[in-house]
Amino acid sequence: MTATDDTQRTRPGPMQASPLVLAKGFVTVLISTIVLIGLCYVFAPSSVTQGALSGSLPFAAILAIVGLGQMLVVQQGGFDLSVAGGVSLSVVFATHFPAGDSTYLLPAVLIAYASAVLIGLVNGLLVGFVRLNAIVATIGMNALIYGLVFAVSGGVPRITTPLLAEIAGGETFGIGNAIYFAAAILIIVAFAMKKTVYGRRFEAIGSNPLAATAVGLNVRLHQMMAYVLAQLLFCTAGLLIAGITSQPTAFQGDSLLLPSVAVVVLGGTSLLGGRGFPISTVIAAIFLNQLSQFAFAVGVPYSAQTIIQALALGFGIAIYSIRLPSTAMKIIKLSNREDKDESVLS
Amino acid sequence: MKVSYHKGQTALAAASVMLSVMGSAAFAETPSWCGPNPATLALLDGFGGNSWRLVTTASGQAEAALCPSITDYQYADGQGNTQKAISDIKSFAARGTNAIVVFGDAGPAVLPALKAAHDAGSIVVPYRVDVGGEAGKDYTKFIGSSFVDDGVSWGNWIKGILPEGGNILFLSGPAGNSQGLDELAGMKTVLDDKYVFINPEPFAVTNWDPSLTQQVLSAEIAKNDKIDVIVSDFGPSLVGALPVFAKFGRSIPALATSDGNSLGCFWTDNVAANPDFKLFTVATGNDNVRLAVQWAIAAATGGVMPTDEIFKAPVFEDSVSGSPSAVQCRADLPGSIYLSAVMSGDDQAKAVGN
Repeated sequence: MTATDDTQRTRPGPMQASPLVLAKGFVTVLISTIVLIGLCYVFAPSSVTQGALSGSLPFAAILAIVGLGQMLVVQQGGFDLSVAGGVSLSVVFATHFPAGDSTYLLPAVLIAYASAVLIGLVNGLLVGFVRLNAIVATIGMNALIYGLVFAVSGGVPRITTPLLAEIAGGETFGIGNAIYFAAAILIIVAFAMKKTVYGRRFEAIGSNPLAATAVGLNVRLHQMMAYVLAQLLFCTAGLLIAGITSQPTAFQGDSLLLPSVAVVVLGGTSLLGGRGFPISTVIAAIFLNQLSQFAFAVGVPYSAQTIIQALALGFGIAIYSIRLPSTAMKIIKLSNREDKDESVLS
Repeated sequence: MKVSYHKGQTALAAASVMLSVMGSAAFAETPSWCGPNPATLALLDGFGGNSWRLVTTASGQAEAALCPSITDYQYADGQGNTQKAISDIKSFAARGTNAIVVFGDAGPAVLPALKAAHDAGSIVVPYRVDVGGEAGKDYTKFIGSSFVDDGVSWGNWIKGILPEGGNILFLSGPAGNSQGLDELAGMKTVLDDKYVFINPEPFAVTNWDPSLTQQVLSAEIAKNDKIDVIVSDFGPSLVGALPVFAKFGRSIPALATSDGNSLGCFWTDNVAANPDFKLFTVATGNDNVRLAVQWAIAAATGGVMPTDEIFKAPVFEDSVSGSPSAVQCRADLPGSIYLSAVMSGDDQAKAVGN
């Protein structure tokens, strides 16, 4: 991305005021999701039945929460690759300390959140203050967290407590509780980011840290807080997984690493940092989840399932990378030049 | 950090297992496969991070402890990382370990390392996962498990409960895993065209991950109005997923799978509300490692080679006939143990750290 783009993004100019530009990520991912659901109705109707949705949406909710956490870090131009460890750690805290006894659930949850804050602080210090590369720092942290996962669990799954299964895996008014959690977190993140001073500063810093430093904002502190908040969300996702799957493994976070980045990208948040798109990120999580449900329901072989998902992801990213009007202009210019050349030759 | 702790814990588990085994074996005779020559033994796991592996590892240790000629026993966990698994094999060979028993999760990828260890003079016994190569040339002996037999056992039971045929949903682990393919081949020798596999060919991929299993199962239930029997080669991973049937207002169907305490207890708790829920299990096969350890020790210490060359998982529970066993549930013990194993439930509970 060029410097011009950066200035355009931070400047409250006419470009940003235009609702079309504001909604680009949102519109794209929303249309894609609607098209996908339409395709599901035609080709894989079983994937949009109430039973299938009630089985799969809780997992979309978990991915949405993890994606929101990753989005906060990406907004600061970073990555949190310790998402796998963070999620797995809270899963093992929530299942191993209580060992099936619901009375120990609250202390276990508190321990999980406390360790999430600690992990986030260390990540944030390493990236924000020591200026380590985010990928390197968080991969290292991930290895450390897995050490802790093994120390707590020995790598062995334990059956979840009935209370947590009820809270995370239960349903209220026919809708999985995990979905309420995701919705509440989305509202909090979106409101805090778009409507509070802290949130506006957070986005401004991500957009242009140098300018933010120049106007006296505490850039490093905000960068550090992104990692802390992300870990808190990863921890929440882990607790939900622990409740939804009755015997979660100690490595439950592993499969969330790539999707967590994918939903952020599909949601339209730039990997270079800046504005975040919480609602689009959540819709992207629904999109990815429905995509795998579509592949399951169509009954294609596993290899094809993987290819379908990769193509959809590539398509999603291409939409942001290829700017249709400018590409069209280039083609027109090119053909005009060729016409001229031809006329000169003739 | 991960490794050192794991080793520490393993050592602790090994000590407790050895103590208990030695206590009971003090007056027992040395088994015939345990020869007179002193030897060192290493058990190398490709991935040690689940309860099945911990019980298996403890079983391997218990078996090794029966032989007084084994002077040193070591364990290493490849942590699902092929490179680490390869380097573990090479480093134990370099240390001059006499006998190496390997769970080659990565399949043929570890074969060059096994061959190097074999060429360096170690007794190398891969087990359970086919690593390719040739016994006597690339390694000493491969102790496989007959997954085809598991498939045949399931097929016969399915024929018994559904003589008129029916719809079968077969779930296995990662795409293309040889275990699932063998099981399918076994089932197909018994089941004719009346039995329809409604999953994508050759099986629905679950990676043996409970959360993916749950998603796959809910998609399959939504898609298929009639599922007569579910076949899965890792029963306990279904415990979280089976309640999905209730969301569709349907009874859990018959289930042919491998055993696990959590599954047995789940059946006990849910059979009343689910009239179609019949359960049939084969032993999960923790004792496969015992046969591999016997072979390795026999070769390294000059003992008598065992007669069995392949581990055949016995049929364990059948809720219909109650034979060889009715469904078992030890609610007082952790769900993540396997009552089919030779090791007692209480010792397994210690091994998995509960």
